[in-house]
Amino acid sequence: MTFNKDIYRALEDIVGSANISDDPAVLDSYIYSLAHTAIHIGPFYNTFTPQGAAVLMPGNTEEVQAIVKLCNKYKIKYKASSTFWSAQGYPSEDNTIQLDMRRMDRILEIDEKNMFAVIEPGVIAATLQAEAMQVGLNTHIPGSGCSCSVLASATSYLGSGPGNLYGGWYYENLLGVEWVIPTGEIFKTGSLGSGCGWFCGEGPGPSMKGVFRGFLGAKGSMGVFTKCAIKLFAWPGPKSLPVKGIVPAYRTTLPDNFKAYTVAFPSWKAWADAAYSIWDAGIGYLAHRQFNMFGRDLKYAMVKILTDPTKTLGDLEEILEDPEVQKVTEESKRDFQIILVGMTKRDIEWQEKAFDEILNKTGGWKVEAMNDPDVHDWALLYLLRLGHKNLNLVFGGGYDGAFGFLLPADYGASHAEEAGEFKKEWEKRGAMVEAGGDCMMGPIGGQGGGGTCLWENFTCFDSHDKESTEGTLEFFDACTKLSKEKGWVGAGMEKWNSAARGSDGRTTPKEERDRIHRSAPQPSVYRYQRKIKEVFNPNDCGDEYFETLDD
Amino acid sequence: MALENFLAETDRCSQCSYCKWIPFDHIKSWRFAKNCPSVTYNNFNSYSARGRYAVTRSLLKGQSGYTDTVEHIVFSCMACGSCDVSCKVCRYNLEPLDMVRELKFKMVEDGHGIEAHKKMISVLVKEHNTMMQPKSKRGEWADNLDVPRVSSEKFEVLFHAGCRFSYDKVLQNSARSAVTMLKNAGVNIGIMGEREMCCGGRAYSMGYRDELDRLAKSNINACSKAGIRTIVASCADCYHAFKRLYPQFGSQVEVLHTTEFIHRLIKEEKLKFRTGMPITVTYHDPCHLGRQGEPYVPWQGVEKKIKKQIIVYEPRRPRYNGAWGVYDQPREILKAIPGVQLVEMQRIREYSWCCGAGGGVREAYPEYSNWTAVERIEEAKSTGAEAIISACPWCERNFMDAVSGMGDSMKVYDIIDLARKAV
Repeated sequence: MTFNKDIYRALEDIVGSANISDDPAVLDSYIYSLAHTAIHIGPFYNTFTPQGAAVLMPGNTEEVQAIVKLCNKYKIKYKASSTFWSAQGYPSEDNTIQLDMRRMDRILEIDEKNMFAVIEPGVIAATLQAEAMQVGLNTHIPGSGCSCSVLASATSYLGSGPGNLYGGWYYENLLGVEWVIPTGEIFKTGSLGSGCGWFCGEGPGPSMKGVFRGFLGAKGSMGVFTKCAIKLFAWPGPKSLPVKGIVPAYRTTLPDNFKAYTVAFPSWKAWADAAYSIWDAGIGYLAHRQFNMFGRDLKYAMVKILTDPTKTLGDLEEILEDPEVQKVTEESKRDFQIILVGMTKRDIEWQEKAFDEILNKTGGWKVEAMNDPDVHDWALLYLLRLGHKNLNLVFGGGYDGAFGFLLPADYGASHAEEAGEFKKEWEKRGAMVEAGGDCMMGPIGGQGGGGTCLWENFTCFDSHDKESTEGTLEFFDACTKLSKEKGWVGAGMEKWNSAARGSDGRTTPKEERDRIHRSAPQPSVYRYQRKIKEVFNPNDCGDEYFETLDD
Repeated sequence: MALENFLAETDRCSQCSYCKWIPFDHIKSWRFAKNCPSVTYNNFNSYSARGRYAVTRSLLKGQSGYTDTVEHIVFSCMACGSCDVSCKVCRYNLEPLDMVRELKFKMVEDGHGIEAHKKMISVLVKEHNTMMQPKSKRGEWADNLDVPRVSSEKFEVLFHAGCRFSYDKVLQNSARSAVTMLKNAGVNIGIMGEREMCCGGRAYSMGYRDELDRLAKSNINACSKAGIRTIVASCADCYHAFKRLYPQFGSQVEVLHTTEFIHRLIKEEKLKFRTGMPITVTYHDPCHLGRQGEPYVPWQGVEKKIKKQIIVYEPRRPRYNGAWGVYDQPREILKAIPGVQLVEMQRIREYSWCCGAGGGVREAYPEYSNWTAVERIEEAKSTGAEAIISACPWCERNFMDAVSGMGDSMKVYDIIDLARKAV
């Protein structure tokens, strides 16, 4: 602890002695390895985010407000995080106070009639979904999975996921917000700000989404969001998911108005045409190129393992030798998963018919092996709950995405094969999992209603292995270089966050930040954000994830 | 194993926090979604499996020493294994339960055990029980029970009462009922009486590996001399010790929990329930019978990589993730009793919430142990059940104490109590 005992005592007075610690053993569990999933800056072997000065667990808005005011008084940096899914939620500098929002985890209200929920930061998507289903509603779940904070995804990051197609991503679902601004005042946004309740994010009342989120979310660097309302949408299914099966091969059997398909196409053009047709027809509840995250060559073998509780990764090589597995692997090269949900019997019949017509028109087909009842019910549960997203890390404990972009389907599809072939060559060098090059995954419908796809080529490595981690970093640098050479829009996903955090896990030096921001396509965004920061965060108590550029 | 062997896992744990929740697929409500009593009660990340990986890394790398906080973090773990199940929904190369056990062993071996445990262990060494009682009184639970003792007659099936049943006068009628039922069904069963010794399982879960070693060897030797072929235990902790731990010391006897044996007798039509019992009950899966009750599979091997960076093991390593524990037999016994209506809690089977008595927590941190049991009683109450049934005396004792403290009317029974009344 580097701040004096009086400050510690003052913080302790706010949250109580049970909810503050500066013990090194506790602080050890609030650092994050940049060799896991650093989210687009690394990976960096044996590198951790800096240890905070103390960790505090506030229990309500008043406590958050008091902490933030105290931090302003003493010019102490603070960083709030709810579910700590990646490096973004951890301090970037020494002497930062880490706020763990875990204790503020209540679902305050589910307004069934107006279809929204009011939640605190610690509410995860799984619990919100379970409660919403009780009243015939559902929530979007971010691509990082249902273990993640709904509020954090909505207020502070993208919140994109398989459900974008029907439900829209979390940013789009954000309604009224209670925001403890960086100086400690409480700002109620949207309809909440005019005393009209939580139902709208934009008014009547102040619309502040663009201000507090900035570009891609402020990630805990612009005050603390203590409550928000989130839009829910229709769930024409049972009040809770009827789950059966032996761990980890859980599955759910739902009524006939639910269908989960894996479909594949003869070409990327056909793949993209199908995506456009799905959006045009307005069908589908969620759609994602999900299981390709294991890699084109491994995905079906992994499905075989994950749907059979007697199997482990040790069976992978033998399964890959199975001619039937090879056949399915070959036929599902250019695939995606889609769940059709009918609100009525006629609705599902119409969606099925429309979907079949789309497949007919594009030459696509349903991958029959994925229609095996047990596999179907496993995929259905997987995609609806997104409770297995940590399979991202199944192979060696480390993964990150390359070649990412949020762009129209045909644009992304035109790059997928070339990016995959490039990766395949790198896989042979040994640093990363040899998965078939094409590990492109992401939502079919990168935003509400479709129109774009969100792509990421998953790259898996062993976070304990120096050569594997550093070889992966080398590959990511090569990806950026190739994308730039090719002029691919969205190039550089591999280093998206390097403007905020550097290779030592700490805030990127200002000169480097400025260089990155000046070279951005629209540097004025960061100049505007600087002006916002000057007004809202004059004492600079956050980190640099709210990106700024001087004039 | 040594703690050093877990260094790779400390790097490969991605700190996803799955270890704090029941498997997400099974979440049915906000209220009963959490799985780990330790982090639910203490809140800081350090009190979860991911946090204990961080503590392990710090200790191994010399970044932290054995502070009071480290001791509290480590010994607050009930070793219930719920983190292990949730972790392994997605991971095949992490062993969080083994890691935290090894962390406890290391602390104890380096002289950093905690006082409450040390006192209990010192009595265990002399008196061979975890109840702080004289060994001379161990067989009294079976006084006036018509069952042979090992010194007087030969028998093939040994009923091991365990420490809690041997000395807890409120609960020990369940042990007497178990023996009577098995005997009446024609099983050639006997007991060790005052010669019975602790299985060592609870000492093991507190970090005292050497005590398990000593007691396991003694018990295996005693069974061998007596010609025992099958051990029956009504205590889940004992069952786990005999089933999962003793084979590592060469034990080859068949191990059955009473529920397995009774279930077998029902299937063989050697036991029938005739008396109706109109009662709505819910069943609590003891951790050591359920997710930790999987059979032991010997393995010696090494890590290797396939497909360049996929971590696997040569030869294929057994996977303990709670899939094959004893879950169905107790439920089928309850369903076979006329009039009994079984209603399920939200956290059951491999993702059951711990009773709070495990890992030495009952002995070291009674308030937290009681809170854990109260959580379970609240969950049981939410089902509308009149009684919570379990198959382990440690669970039952913790629940009884919790119910008493709450001033609640929830009844607590061992499954044998119901079965005995129904025969």
